[in-house]
Amino acid sequence: MEDLIKKIEPFGVLEFKRPKERRIFIRIKSEFLRDLISFLIGEYDLRHLSTITGIDLGEEIELLYHFSYKHSIEITIGIKIPKSSLKVPTITDLIPGAIFYEKEVHDMLGVVFEGHPDLSPLILPENWPEGVHPLRKDYSIEKLKELIKK
Amino acid sequence: MRYGTTIKVPFGPQHPALKEPECFLFEVEGDFVVNVKPRIGYVHRGIEKAFENNTYMHDLYLAERICGICSHAHTVAFTQTVEGLVSLEIPQRAQYIRLIMAELERLHSHSLWVGIAAHEAGFDTMFMYLWRDREMIMDLMEEISGNRVLHAINTIGGVRRDINDEQANKIRKYLDKFEENIKNYIKVLETENTFLKRTVGVGILKPSDAIALCAVGPTLRASGIKNDVRKDDPYLLYDEIPFEVITHDGCDVFARTIVRCEEMLESIKIIRYALDHMPKGELKVKAPRTFPPNESIGRVEAPRGELIHYTKSNGTSKPERYKVRSPTLGNLASVCKTLIGAHIADIPMILAGIDPCFSCMDRILIKKRS
Amino acid sequence: MFETIFEIISLIGFIVFIILIAFFYEWIDRKFYARIQNRYGPLYTGPSGILQPIADFIKLLLKEDIIPEASEKRIFSLIPIIYVLLPILALLIIPINGKGIISFEGDLIFLMFLSAMITLSVFLAGWSSACNFSRIGGVRAALQMLSYEIPFGLSLIGPAIVANSLCITKISEWQIANSTAFIFLQPIGFAVIMISLLAELELIPFDVPEAETEIVAGWTTEYGGGRYALIRLGKDLELVMASMLISSLYLGGIGQIFFIPPIVIAIIKSIIVLLVMSLIRALFARYRIDQVISGMWKYLFPLMILQIIIVQFIG
Repeated sequence: MEDLIKKIEPFGVLEFKRPKERRIFIRIKSEFLRDLISFLIGEYDLRHLSTITGIDLGEEIELLYHFSYKHSIEITIGIKIPKSSLKVPTITDLIPGAIFYEKEVHDMLGVVFEGHPDLSPLILPENWPEGVHPLRKDYSIEKLKELIKK
Repeated sequence: MRYGTTIKVPFGPQHPALKEPECFLFEVEGDFVVNVKPRIGYVHRGIEKAFENNTYMHDLYLAERICGICSHAHTVAFTQTVEGLVSLEIPQRAQYIRLIMAELERLHSHSLWVGIAAHEAGFDTMFMYLWRDREMIMDLMEEISGNRVLHAINTIGGVRRDINDEQANKIRKYLDKFEENIKNYIKVLETENTFLKRTVGVGILKPSDAIALCAVGPTLRASGIKNDVRKDDPYLLYDEIPFEVITHDGCDVFARTIVRCEEMLESIKIIRYALDHMPKGELKVKAPRTFPPNESIGRVEAPRGELIHYTKSNGTSKPERYKVRSPTLGNLASVCKTLIGAHIADIPMILAGIDPCFSCMDRILIKKRS
Repeated sequence: MFETIFEIISLIGFIVFIILIAFFYEWIDRKFYARIQNRYGPLYTGPSGILQPIADFIKLLLKEDIIPEASEKRIFSLIPIIYVLLPILALLIIPINGKGIISFEGDLIFLMFLSAMITLSVFLAGWSSACNFSRIGGVRAALQMLSYEIPFGLSLIGPAIVANSLCITKISEWQIANSTAFIFLQPIGFAVIMISLLAELELIPFDVPEAETEIVAGWTTEYGGGRYALIRLGKDLELVMASMLISSLYLGGIGQIFFIPPIVIAIIKSIIVLLVMSLIRALFARYRIDQVISGMWKYLFPLMILQIIIVQFIG
């Protein structure tokens, strides 16, 4: 893992942090996501995806993919997508285990994963209003309670 | 036998095989399952959103209540994450106490699960015996922390209560009895023919599928893959304590049962070592109220598997974002894979095989109040 | 005319006596099962909880009894009554007091017919309740019957061949007259009849029709209140019937030993059978339905054929 920072240079790296020995945070440009993940799978056999986190940053949504190298080192890859065009290519063909994590982020934040086999709601109930994604900052808890009462 | 047409059978939300409500839509052909689609979210309580509205200190108690059975694991992960934001080092004695409580919780959770597996197979006597022994562990936890579950023994910066010598001796005495009983039960489970017929060969998860679908915990270890957060990414003081990671090559529900039983024996060894080597010292250090902008990840081996918490702070006392991924969600993809091709009658057994804790699994979204 | 009235009164007395015995057996079963599991079992009602089954019966009678809208109402309401009457009919043939109240040549066949009727009524109960769980339970009961029916019938025939009679009373008297018990002469037959009756009574390891963790309560799901009370009473009566049947056919018959009246001997022997059944219930897990069917056809059926061959050529 020592020369990781050199090996990933051609993948649009914006930031590389290693605050602890087993925690690496990499932020890249969004178009390089699938290439970097394919590279890491090929080079380091990085197959365990712990989860996918989505953060609402106002104008953009940041997606963090938490991978685990040999279950020991936690490598987080982060990309930012603008809210105006919330589309990201899916990684379920590279990592089949990502299927439910992408569904959860889609339900909660409204991110569309292109190529995902089935983006039907996982957590939201059937009669939930369209377009309301609860984890966005525009919806406070009170506002969501109002929506449910209706 | 192929019949040519498939029938859709819903399993849940209420079903006697599931202790908590979830909906699995099965497509069934004859007696075999062809497809399964889970719909979760019935115990969703909006916890991740609530995290953002409270201070870190309040969130500690909220994190505990994500799940009743693995409550301590959630607080250990929470404190690991939050203390990682400012690289806070907690005293050794506090780490040992957290470790002992975590292993006691593993004992109680695994014995609960093996009892449930026996009950699903119709083996009620084993269920009664295991839960009787589990009461010993609950008594210990009540003695140390004041409560059977939701112990509230952790705080950001350390622990709130101590284990004195009298309690340590009581722990040793109970653990001796518990260990003897568990060894007996392993012998019974391995030779009881009716139980073997219900669990051997049921719910097979091949190792390649387990890795591809990112399975965690005993489900992963029962397919022969040696991964355990306590050994791979050591936290608290697990790197100083000698213990084995239990794996089994069966890949079926029986393997998962045996893995959990033997993990209980390992936990007993860990607790004994920790009790013998616990140094005297402080119980906690002072923790800040507000945290500078940073991000941090905490990973813990909960009884059900790898539990991961992620937080991003923004300089105030409330988190900007807090994410929890509990092990049952991690195993959901694998269990859907194992269900395909199974008998209908095996569905409860397989679903119970991953030790589902659905209240851990759904967290986000405001619960419906009608 | 007085004779008729006397007979009717004694018949009613007999039925009441049988029902009390059924409650007593339920208590023994529950207490024994609980003690093996390190629990108390019934404890408070009466000394050591002996009145608990009666208390449960009365409580159930007082509860609300709902008939599902979409069910076949007449069959649904009729089944519990049939379910209670069939074991009572069977007990009229079995020589509880040394001699069956009604005994005739061929009542063994009548008994087989009654046991098939019992399973058929279980199937109808599951079918007539408009509920998925009940339907699956009823179908499973019928499937189970298909597997144990033939070995069960053959295990009844084994003693009949040797005793040269198709009357249960005569078979029991034959054992007393020859001071022997068929359990020693035909041990395989004894094992087979025990297993088949466990399957008929739907006890673990064969309680697939009523598997609590898989299909709620199987075929009894939709029954509540008074009808459920009758079903439970029917189950207890089946317990009495099965244990008395085994003790009269295989455990040396029911007759007077020294000065002890036959009825007491019957109760003692059938309690022994009951305790063995409870023990098996506590020790094993539950089989899956396809395992039950394949196991019975693979093992029970050939063993019973073997037993009959042995009886024909040796016995």
